[in-house]
This record gives sequence, structure tokens and C-alpha cells, in this order.
Amino acid sequence: MAAAMVLSVFVALIDGGGGGFGLTAAAIVTGGIGAVCFLGSRVSPSADAALAFASVAWSWLAVSLAGTLPFLFAGVISWAHFDDALFESISGFTCTGSTILSDFGAVPQSILFYRSLTQWLGGMGLVVLAVAVLPALGIGGLDLIASEAPGPTADRLSLKVRDTARRLWLLYGAATCILAIVLFLVGMSVFDAVTHAFTTIATGGYSPHAESIAYFDSFVVELVVIAGMLFAGANFSMHWRALSDGIRAYGSVSETRWYVSLIAGACVILILVNHGELEWFQNFRESLFYAVSLGSNTGFGSSNYVMWMPAAHITLLVLMLVGGMSGSTAGGMKVLRLQVVIRYSFRELMRARHPSAVIPIRLGSGTIEEQIAAKVVGFVLLYLGLIVTGGVVLSGLGVDPLTAFSGSVSALGNVGPALGEAGPSSNFLVFPRAARVVLMMMMALGRLELFPAMLMLVASLRGLGQLQRSREQMK
Amino acid sequence: MESAVGVTVGAVWVLSAPVFVFCAAVDFLDRGPDCIPLLVSGLIVGLLGLLVVRLSSFPSSLPVSRLFASVVSGAVAALIAVTVAHLATDTSIALDVALVEAAATVTGTNASTLNADSMSLGVTLLRALGQWLSAGAIIVVLVRVMPHLGVGGLDADGGVATRSARRLAPRSGSTMARLVSLYIGLTVLCAFAYLVAGMPWMDSWIHSFTTLSSGGFSTRSGSIGAFDSPAIEWVAIVGMVVAGTSLPLMFRALRRGDLHRFVRSVEFRTYIGLILISVVACIAWSDTWPTVSDLRHSLFAVVSALSTTGYLAGDLESVSYGSEAVLLVLMVVGGMSASVAGGFKVMRFMVLGRYIRRELRRSIHPALVGKIHLGRSVIGEVALSRIIGELFLASMTIIPIAMLFSADGLDLEAAISFAVSSLSNVGFAFGLGGPDGHLQMMGAVGHLAAALMMLVGRVSITPVLVTLGGVGEPLQQKVRHMRRTATREVLR
Repeated sequence: MAAAMVLSVFVALIDGGGGGFGLTAAAIVTGGIGAVCFLGSRVSPSADAALAFASVAWSWLAVSLAGTLPFLFAGVISWAHFDDALFESISGFTCTGSTILSDFGAVPQSILFYRSLTQWLGGMGLVVLAVAVLPALGIGGLDLIASEAPGPTADRLSLKVRDTARRLWLLYGAATCILAIVLFLVGMSVFDAVTHAFTTIATGGYSPHAESIAYFDSFVVELVVIAGMLFAGANFSMHWRALSDGIRAYGSVSETRWYVSLIAGACVILILVNHGELEWFQNFRESLFYAVSLGSNTGFGSSNYVMWMPAAHITLLVLMLVGGMSGSTAGGMKVLRLQVVIRYSFRELMRARHPSAVIPIRLGSGTIEEQIAAKVVGFVLLYLGLIVTGGVVLSGLGVDPLTAFSGSVSALGNVGPALGEAGPSSNFLVFPRAARVVLMMMMALGRLELFPAMLMLVASLRGLGQLQRSREQMK
Repeated sequence: MESAVGVTVGAVWVLSAPVFVFCAAVDFLDRGPDCIPLLVSGLIVGLLGLLVVRLSSFPSSLPVSRLFASVVSGAVAALIAVTVAHLATDTSIALDVALVEAAATVTGTNASTLNADSMSLGVTLLRALGQWLSAGAIIVVLVRVMPHLGVGGLDADGGVATRSARRLAPRSGSTMARLVSLYIGLTVLCAFAYLVAGMPWMDSWIHSFTTLSSGGFSTRSGSIGAFDSPAIEWVAIVGMVVAGTSLPLMFRALRRGDLHRFVRSVEFRTYIGLILISVVACIAWSDTWPTVSDLRHSLFAVVSALSTTGYLAGDLESVSYGSEAVLLVLMVVGGMSASVAGGFKVMRFMVLGRYIRRELRRSIHPALVGKIHLGRSVIGEVALSRIIGELFLASMTIIPIAMLFSADGLDLEAAISFAVSSLSNVGFAFGLGGPDGHLQMMGAVGHLAAALMMLVGRVSITPVLVTLGGVGEPLQQKVRHMRRTATREVLR
């Protein structure tokens, strides 16, 4: 963390803008506290699933807390609005991209760079989490990935995760570099190219410009960003395999086919719905951009889709809900789970017709176990339940239901923009302060795939109980 | 010809003829204009029904898919009969309007394009009786047929239709009659209560029909709110709560005089708890300091949404955003299982909640078996997956239907809330500034989509899809056969 801030300090120095001092101070504080904590604790010898969940979740939270410091020290957000800084930081580290910054001109470049960097770092942690850790723990049925797309997934967490992480980070870093160079070649400045590459590969969606990608108003830039988002929304272990097997690696995974056809289908629907509203080429350009941007849960904006027809909004909402592929940095409930849920429901239909038939749930060329299907279904139910709860609570806090429910979908799916008042050209200050706290929690929950976040509380409570018990024994 | 579908359709038509004639008689006494058309359409429908019944005989064996098909075709037959009545009486001239009105009648949804004040008494009575009778038919289907089909986990072994359903099942012949008489008794009681509360004689009967069936049609265009009387509203509130309560549960509690049964039922406790929590939320989130009439109006709206009746009182235009969201969620939840209310049912959501909890536990203890308990009964895995399949399929229908609505002129909020509302057979929705008028805003596409959605909501999605699959099956077999012969030819 401290290292990231130091990097941003360099940017500040190069740029000559303000904010250098604040970042330095923040780096020192973070580094200090981190060192103390690291030296003061030791790795416990036994680690069960709940503990692993808890450590992942708590470290995410700690990073987000530390991440607020630069905003505060640099004076972008005042101390009185600590919650806003936390919102921005969580939104960064969870690769969401919802912002509460309204005046981008007043924010020093270094802070904007730092903001993009938080997303990139969040994405880095996420890749490992999504590809290696969560499947190994079997969260929400993610063990399915391993069965279909063998790649650098970790079979045994403790042994292989370090090796896996190294390979994934290599891939992640390389993709970012390539994207940055291409963006530079198509006409962005170095600063823009790097920050956008960071947030594209992390499917974050922060942009140093208030207008997001629309600032450049260039179809070529959009195409490059679209390619980057498509890449980032797909499974990274699949990408790794594609390095050796070539393009065939993509075709063999059924989730890819669903992912691409979902985005393509949404794009066609958007074009049809917007037909007559927009000029032909403009229509194609914006529809494609938003289908990919929301389908990969990045959340870049190229125009204001709030002006579109309601039917288009429903399409966008579905895209936000589903999100990218499993094993990617994208949020949402994941295409893989949608696949399982649809297969599951249609199996029930078949069973209603033939009550005594034994019908397996098919996925790609194989079938999946009942236990895993149950996990997936449990996850999706919880996911939908949280969206509804979030929507109700947000509207209770005085947001109109459309903005509230879409904000809830957007936060839990780590997308960024929502519908209604919180569209891509607006910011999340339209939500009242209390509602932003709710959104923050939802972002964290969504990023940690719900279950770890829920279990983090369980494990922590259990840890407290143990502490008390040992104390009593001491007495 | 042996056909269960034919028998069902014929029976529905034959049975609806007397209703038509009765309404025609009432209209005649009222000196209304619709006496002759009602009589004629009743005779036509009845004769057609007789013809169909004569031509078809009950099959010796009844596969599950046929049973599904006959349930759905029964609903469609009723729909057609009511459509004919609407067209014959010139209540609505366009076919799509008549269809959606008929769908609202048959499924017990309070959504209409027509002005209730300008309708003749005969038609009003026909619509109210239609809601009442089809709700009665739904009870029969729920308790007698659905458990055999296991639709959406409402089967006898899953126990989701409460333990009562399992106990009722073996002796259901006689119990069925008792349940129906309980339904009739409650209706009479409700009519009497309305009368005492100061409603005119005929109105109180009509409202009693639509209250106990959770239908929601009214004689006034302002619904219950038009009477502007707290007493009537309180009667309606109690009536709607009763309509959303499980009939077998009420039956057993009343038979033994053992009111404690209500308290012991987990579902009933949740149902009442849900009402209370929602009322508190609605009041807490409103902008002004609550008065007694606010309390009554909140309670009214909450109960109307949860029991999927769709009555209106007070102005829903001024509800706060929070209450709007709460009402939408309540619509989806719906009443208790084995009640006449629509929606997904409280019981199923309780089961789903427990399911999520089990999966959470399983992620720590992967070897956990974790049977799901509800009260004292265990929910089987088969019933569980049926409930889940039903929920997913139903929620998937919302998306395309909402898109059709919005293509036909509704904005996003109105489209989605009306899709939810019509799937749950409620009727009122949000986003237009007023609670109704969604149907008026739309054209033929929207009307047909709404009619379909209401029907799907009433008979639930699984039977509809299975029936559609059954219709497609002969075609599918023919194609398969042709392909097989073709390959054989090629092999030769």
C-alpha cells in the first residue's frame, strides 16, 4: 500500500501539481501501521475455511481504510467527510468505479492517478481471489471453474497459491502494459493511457475525466477500450491457457460462449430499441460500448444512457446483474452462475413433466453435481435477496425507487454507474449520506462474493469467544 | 374422444352459463341495458360447453402433462367465456381490451381500462362473481390437484402447502366441500360486515365477493376509497387479511374452536409479522408526522398489496419512496400458501431463507447434510428444487414482459412495477403518478402481455410452460421421426 502511494508521489512530482505532501504523509502512516501489525502478529498454525474467509475479508477492509488517507491528507475530501473518502476508497479497491467526486478539475493529477491505481491493485488481489482462492474454497459453487477450464487454479490453497498468483500477476501486468501502449498509440496522453489501462483491466471504471471515455470522443479509443473490457471480463485462467493453446482455449469453455452471446444479444437489443432515437452509426457505437462496459461490469461511460428508452434500461440492468465471467475481475453474479440457474430451472420443468426421471444438470459438455448446483443457487438467491433489501433500504432513505434499486444492483455487482439520477454522467452524491454508507457495505459484500463477507463476521465472533475463554482459563 | 382438456373446458363453460343467466336476471331487475346480451352469451357459452362435454369423455389414464394442460385450459376457458361477455355487452369493443379485462376477472387482478362507474350492474356483478368463483376454483385446484403435480413445491410430501394439506389430502373429498363452505360462509359474513359499516346493499355483496377472493374489483372507480368511510376501510382490511390466510388453517382452527392453532403456525406468525413490520416501515419513512388516518391508510395499502387484492384507499400518489419499495416487495411475497391470494407465497420465501442459511453453513462445514425444517415438518429436497425453479422461471418472465410494457409507452418504473403487480395479481402499480391507469396507457401489445402475465401469475409458470411444451410435443416428435427416417435413408 505504502509503495503505491509513493508511486503516486512520483507522479505528483513529475506533474508538479499539489497533493505530493499529502500522499507522502499517508504513505508513511500506512507503512508504519502495517509494519507494526505485521511484526506484532504471527500466522496461526491451523487455518480452516472460516478463518481463511475472515482473513481475506478483513485485509480488504484494512486496505480500504488505509486507502482513504491520501484523499484526506491531500485535502480532496475534508476530514469531516471521512465517510466519503471511505466510499471513494472502497469503490476503488472493489473495482466498482462509483465516485463522489464532482469537480474533477480541482483534484490534483496525482490523486486521480492514485485513484486509478487503487482499482488496479484491487483488481490484482481480485484476480488471485477469483481464480485461485475462492474456487479452492468452493464459494458459491465457483469450484465449477476448475472442472471446466483447467488452468492455473490452485488445488491446494497453501501449496500452490503463491505460484498461481505469480503467473496471474504476470499476465495481469502484461495485459495492462499492452493496453496502455495501445491507448497511447491511438492518441491518449501518457497519463490518460496509463490510468485508463489500470481501470480497464481491473474492470473498475474510474476515469480521470468527469465525462469518462466520452472525453476523448474517438471511436478508435472506444474500440480499444472495448477490447480491453472484453478481455478483463473473461476468465483469467482461460487467458493463461490461451497463451499456450492458442485461440481454441476460449472456444472450449461454454461460459465464454454464453458471455459473448449475452453481450452480443444485449447489443442487438440496444440497437433495436435505440433505432430511430439515435443516428445509425452513433447508435451502433454507443450500444456496443455500453453492452460491453456494463456486461463486463466496468462502468465506463461514452454518453448518457439515462436519456435512452426504458426498454434499453432493462437490458442494461440485466447486464449489470449478470456481470462478467467467473475467474475475472468483473463483478456481478457471473455468467457461470446464470448458466447453472437457467439449466437448473429448466431441469425442474422437465421433472414436472416426467416426475420420476433422473435428469442431470448439464454444463458445457459435462454435468455438475447436485451439491455444487445447490451452492450456486444458494448464492444467487442470497444475491437477489440482498439487491432487494438494499433497494428497499435505499428508497427508505429517500431515493426514488428506480435509482435505489439500480444503485443497489450496481453496488452489489461492482459496476459503477446506475440508472435514474445516478447515471454515468452524474455521481453518487445524489444519494444521501446514510445511503452511501449502505452502498459502501454492498460494494464490499459484492466484491467478496457475499459468503466470505458473511462468514467473516462468524469467524471473528468465534475468535473473540476463544480469546475470552483463554483469558478465563488464565485467571 | 378421450380428452381431459375437453372435459375441463366443457365443464367450465357449462358451469359459467348459470352465472351469466343470474347476472342477466339481476340486470333485468335493475333495468340495466345488458340483460339480453348477457343472457344470449350465457346461452351460447353453455351450449358450446354442453357440446364439448358430449364430444369428449374422461380418459382412463391421465399422465401428468395432461393434468397440467387441463388446469391451464380450464383457466383459458373461463377467460374466453368472460371475454365473450365483455364483447357481447359492448363493455369493451376492442378484442385486446376485452381479453385483458377477462384476464383480470379470472385471475383476480384489480387492473382495468374501464370506468367502474359507467358499467351496468349486471356486468359489474359478473366481473365480481367471476373473481369470486375463480378464486374458489383455485382453492380446489390448490388443495386437490396441485399436490399431485407438485407445482412449485406445493406438493403433499414437501409439506409446503402446510402440514394441513398433507393431512387433508386423503380425505379431501369431504374436506373440500367443507373448505368451500367455509369460503362461502366467510363471504356472507364479510358482506354483512360491509352492510353494517354503511355500504349500500348491492355494493356490499359485490365488495365481499372481491375482498374474500383477493380480486379487488369495485363498483366505484375510486375503489374502497370512494366510500370515504373509516369503518368500511377497517372491514376491508380485516377481509383482506382473511383472504390472504391459509383456508385449511382457518378451517381447522375454527372446527376445533382452537384459535391457538393460528399462533402455532409459523407461516401465519410470519405473515402477520410482515404486515406489522411493513406498516411500521411505511410510517417511519413517510415525511409527515403520522396521524390515525395515516396509520389506517398505510395498513390498508400494506394489506392490499400483501394479500394481492389491489383495493385502493387514500392516495397512493403521495406515498414516500420507501413505502413504494416496501409495497412492491410485499406484492411479490403474496399471501399464505393455500390461500386465494396470488404472489409467490410467504411459505416459499421462508423456505428459501432457510435454504440460503443452510448453504452458508455448508460453506464452512462442507459435509453438513442440513435438512430444512419449517415448524415441525421437514422440507424435502425435491420440493426445494421445485420452489427454486418456479421462482427463477417466474422472475425471468418479468424481464421480457416489462420490456414489452415499456415498448408500449410505460416508463421504466411503471413497466417493472406493473409487470410485478400483474404477475402477483395485485393490480395497482407505481410510476405514473397514480396507482392505476397503466392499462389505459398501453396499446394492444401491452394489453395482451398483461393478460398473459396475469394468467401466468395465477396458474403459476410451471403448468403454463409444461402445457406449451405439450402442445409443441407432437410437432417435435414428428420432426424427430422425419430426421430418423432421413438418416435411415441416407444409411441405405
